[in-house]
Amino acid sequence: MNRLGAIALGAATILAIVAPFFLRRYGIYLISMWAVLTIAAIGLNLTLGYAGQVSLAQGAFVGIGAYTVALLTQAGWPYPVAFVCAGALCFAIGWLLGYPALRVQHHYLAFVTLAFTTLVFLLLRNEEWLTNGIYGITGTARPVLFGWSTGSALDFYFFCLGMLALLAAATWWMLRSPWGRAFLALRENPLRALSLGLDTRRYTLMAFALGSSLGGMAGALYAPLVQFIEPNSFSLGMSFNLLLMVIVGGSGYFFGPFIGALVAVLLPEWTRFTEGYYLLLYAALVMALMAFCPSGLLGLVERVSKAMTRRAPPPSDLRAEGTSP
Amino acid sequence: MSAVLEVSNLRKSFGGISAVNDVSFDVREGEILGIIGPNGSGKSTLFNCVLGQLLPNAGEIRVDGKPTTGMRPCDLNRLGVSRTFQLLQVFPQLSVRDNLILAGQEHRGSMLSRLFGKSDAGLGDAARKMIDFFQLSHLSHEQAGALSYGQQKLLDAAMAFMAGPRLVLLDEPAGGVNLTMLAHLRERLRAYHAERHATFVVIEHQMEFVMALCTRVLVLAEGRIIAQGAPQDIRRNPTVIEAYLGGQSA
Repeated sequence: MNRLGAIALGAATILAIVAPFFLRRYGIYLISMWAVLTIAAIGLNLTLGYAGQVSLAQGAFVGIGAYTVALLTQAGWPYPVAFVCAGALCFAIGWLLGYPALRVQHHYLAFVTLAFTTLVFLLLRNEEWLTNGIYGITGTARPVLFGWSTGSALDFYFFCLGMLALLAAATWWMLRSPWGRAFLALRENPLRALSLGLDTRRYTLMAFALGSSLGGMAGALYAPLVQFIEPNSFSLGMSFNLLLMVIVGGSGYFFGPFIGALVAVLLPEWTRFTEGYYLLLYAALVMALMAFCPSGLLGLVERVSKAMTRRAPPPSDLRAEGTSP
Repeated sequence: MSAVLEVSNLRKSFGGISAVNDVSFDVREGEILGIIGPNGSGKSTLFNCVLGQLLPNAGEIRVDGKPTTGMRPCDLNRLGVSRTFQLLQVFPQLSVRDNLILAGQEHRGSMLSRLFGKSDAGLGDAARKMIDFFQLSHLSHEQAGALSYGQQKLLDAAMAFMAGPRLVLLDEPAGGVNLTMLAHLRERLRAYHAERHATFVVIEHQMEFVMALCTRVLVLAEGRIIAQGAPQDIRRNPTVIEAYLGGQSA
């Protein structure tokens, strides 16, 4: 990360800590939702952006995580245990969902994962004995951790922000390990990766499992945040929304999901002044963004930064030597 | 000298077309074997069978005496068999250094230990030495996709050597490379061979490159071996001249 990036990260962190003190209850709810959905988008970015595996199932994993936490905490399990169970269950299901990815790719894989999302939606809606069907589950309690109650909107926001920081740091650390390099190899050239000894099968499954697990953990925060979950929240709409966050922010850029989630959560609110037209305006803005900047907002930043570097006059020693073969 | 690679009675057909027909040969330790033949003679199919990308219909392949027929390419690589591809196969978004570390990292420990190990898998020094050896030092931190075609070919070859393989199969390494870079590539391959006593199998159309680099040449035509021997003998072999060179001396 260069100096400018470090300054931007520091400023964004300070803003994330200070902002809720200047917001009303709904504003705090929105930035809490941003933190939760960013975690899910980081998971999808890992699967799609880094490992190159198309997935339209991330919303379903958020749903599985949310229902796991809601059901287990209502059964009297402590929240931290339920949280870990949500992540572990989604890891296992994500691993199994990765198997089709060993056989099909691109839009075929998108359809497989789309079918999985529909399947999860139908299960959540129809298995009333477990999920309470269309009536959903209300009142998932916010946790008390080491004597700290996260019951208020402000406290729960800081809990979500802390979890986002923790999971983002863990993902960053993993992506800087040889696994991160292997995931990129999987995306860029699986044939060559295989010939260099990479077990592409295992890395593909791992990419799905880890991404899904992050989706499940986001769901485990989603349930106590909204305190009412029902199947429609986790239908294809959420999966598309998460995909939008990854693409808009910049697929394969670590901070892409942070920016993408900010756009997807806040842009509809900012365009509300148009009243009935706000969704139309939102859609038009997203289409324009994709048309002019298909690599996402961070892709645009990188392009501008490179263009500016090229324009800057090179130091005299480099000009004299050159680097061409 | 022991055989690193043994191919016995290998057959591979696609529908009614026999691409490789009862081919047997071996490659001894430290040898540079060239495989030549006209287009459609079965060279690439033979390579792909040896490298686990195609399953042969019959026959057996052994590496260091161990049966490897049908083994997955990643398992073969971990056994010490490395390769380059006819078309460039580097990772364009990764730096030159990261391409090389990637080429060696899967040989270090288990998948789990790599997660908790060093970011460069302990290969930083080895990568630097390989970069220096292939004279790419000034490009170490450049993205591979930004390199010239010839430089990418060098990187491709360097990646094949990164894990210290027992056997390297080079698929048309000279393809599309200009004469200056070709001489450089040949010189680097020779130097690597001299230094490490590595074993190579080279498929190549560029006859001068094969004749200058290889210690033995095997000629395929219509899926069969029609001749094998020292490069100077192959040049004069009437069967080869007839089948491969179309009746004219090279």
